[in-house]
Amino acid sequence: MTTWFVPKEKLESLLSEREGQTVFGPTETEGLSWLDAPGEKLSLTPLSRPRSAQSPKGFLLPAAELLGRYGSAASSQAVAEATRVVLFGIRACELRARTYLDRVFSEGDFTDPAYLARREQTVTISCDCVDCTETCCCTLVGGKPYAEDGYDANITAIQEGYLVDVATEKGETWLGDAKALGIQEADAKYLQRRDEVREKMVARLKEQNSRFTFQSDDETQPSLPEIDDPSWQKFAADCVECGACTNICPTCHCFYLYDQVLGKDAFERVRTWDSCLLSTYHRMAGGVNMKISPRPDLFSRLANRVLHKFTYSPQQWHMMGCVGCGRCIDACLGAIDIREVVEELQK
Amino acid sequence: MTCANPYVPVAAELIEVIDETPTIKTMVIRPAEPFDFRAGQFAQLGLLGVGEAPFTPSSSPSEKERLDFTVLKTGVLTDRLHECTAGAKVGLRGPYGKGYPIEKLEGKEVLVVGGGVGLAPLRALILALLDNMDPIKRMSIKYGARTMEELLYRGQYDAWTKHDKVDMDVTIDNPQEGWDGKTGVVTTLLKGVDVDKSNSYAFVCGPAIMLRFTTFALLEEGFKPEQIYLSMNRRMSCGMGHCGRCNIGPYYLCKDGPDINYALIKDYPNVF
Repeated sequence: MTTWFVPKEKLESLLSEREGQTVFGPTETEGLSWLDAPGEKLSLTPLSRPRSAQSPKGFLLPAAELLGRYGSAASSQAVAEATRVVLFGIRACELRARTYLDRVFSEGDFTDPAYLARREQTVTISCDCVDCTETCCCTLVGGKPYAEDGYDANITAIQEGYLVDVATEKGETWLGDAKALGIQEADAKYLQRRDEVREKMVARLKEQNSRFTFQSDDETQPSLPEIDDPSWQKFAADCVECGACTNICPTCHCFYLYDQVLGKDAFERVRTWDSCLLSTYHRMAGGVNMKISPRPDLFSRLANRVLHKFTYSPQQWHMMGCVGCGRCIDACLGAIDIREVVEELQK
Repeated sequence: MTCANPYVPVAAELIEVIDETPTIKTMVIRPAEPFDFRAGQFAQLGLLGVGEAPFTPSSSPSEKERLDFTVLKTGVLTDRLHECTAGAKVGLRGPYGKGYPIEKLEGKEVLVVGGGVGLAPLRALILALLDNMDPIKRMSIKYGARTMEELLYRGQYDAWTKHDKVDMDVTIDNPQEGWDGKTGVVTTLLKGVDVDKSNSYAFVCGPAIMLRFTTFALLEEGFKPEQIYLSMNRRMSCGMGHCGRCNIGPYYLCKDGPDINYALIKDYPNVF
């Protein structure tokens, strides 16, 4: 792996559109950075800002997606082919979340062709966090504010410019010919600077989360009560069942399949995000005296979500389901803080 | 069945509809391409443009020309399925899930416990075992339904029990005119059940309340949780372990079940 020192204006030149690929990255909107802007609005400023409000999950798993058409009158070429997308400014927590989604959609007996096609076409340019939100808590769940793997190239903003680690062929192609760019390998002084930036950020995250005593990572997690334990009710009292936490979560991947009628003998199958907090999520067919939902109580559904992040995911996928991005805390209308939930309920 | 797009159903033809009971029909389907499944595996059966739901075939896995789905009329999709007649087009995806662990049954006594429409997936198991009873020591079938009319596959019990290793006991919930058989819920057939508990497996399918009381009855009879397989069902949208909604703890019933060993799930609340 080579680490380059890239001055600001040269890195900026890499943000512009290039043939056959679209660059997406965070842009500044009302003080927050978002990830849904096309290339021409991009700047390097967001690299020095906290993670974006949205996660880049939607680039791999869109909120609504046509999976295919069927029926004798349906056109077969309905599904758009994945195109080359450069995701610029992805954070370490988001990379960890993507590793999680990779496991869900590529391990086991069935893989997900739509997800994998987009995944294959994505060039991931990550960046170290040099700032964080008040809800950022990657260090509480075994993460770090900088990525160590999983990227094609990774950027660290330092005072003098940017350090760029190139890890894969995709990353090399993205950066282009170093000679043509006129860039040099980073020297020891700059690497030292990067270490300092990273250590400082880790210390800041640990400090802002110091009131929480639990520690978790992919190997060990706090023990939490089961979904029927009334202790969850205290937190469920503030839940309005809106599903914002699951929509904004970079690892939440639950979806629902449904069909639309296009015409006589032409149908399409659509996938949309779904949320385990919603009462309709598990509802089964059945009449009176039938148990049509396995988790009829909201507190059980809230518990199931937290347990999935902290308990079930490590058993299913050998990694935490929570990457500590803190987005669900920001998004919650009832101000439920998953850190406080785990802190209070840990046994 | 192989399909480039695992989320899109393949069209199949409904070739026959059998009225089983006042509330249950068997939809006989001719798949467009071979649908190889193990007993207990399920399919997503649907009506084009309407939707789909998980159903376990009730026919023998060795039947290649037809695929039976025995369906209780109980919701939007099943209401529409019950209205269908031969010639209708249906959509099919699958098979999904693990299927019954038939390979573990060599030298064992097999206790099959069904409640109501729960006999449907169990029939696939019964027929698969009847195909080759040599390795099996014995198969004992216990079946209960609410009323005499609701007993599934009534004309077939004699054929199953013709095999000298197979016995069957049937009950209906309450006494009824014209019924001279046993009455009481299916768990009454398990009191002092004469299978060799140290050398057997039990396979149970039925409504949630029946699964619950049958499990407790079997435990009381001396079965260990490891010997009990339950047909657990949740709303399964994808069938592949991706969509998330069928979990009991860390297990997805679509891929770790739907017939799951009770030992795996017994410590999780709200199982039944």
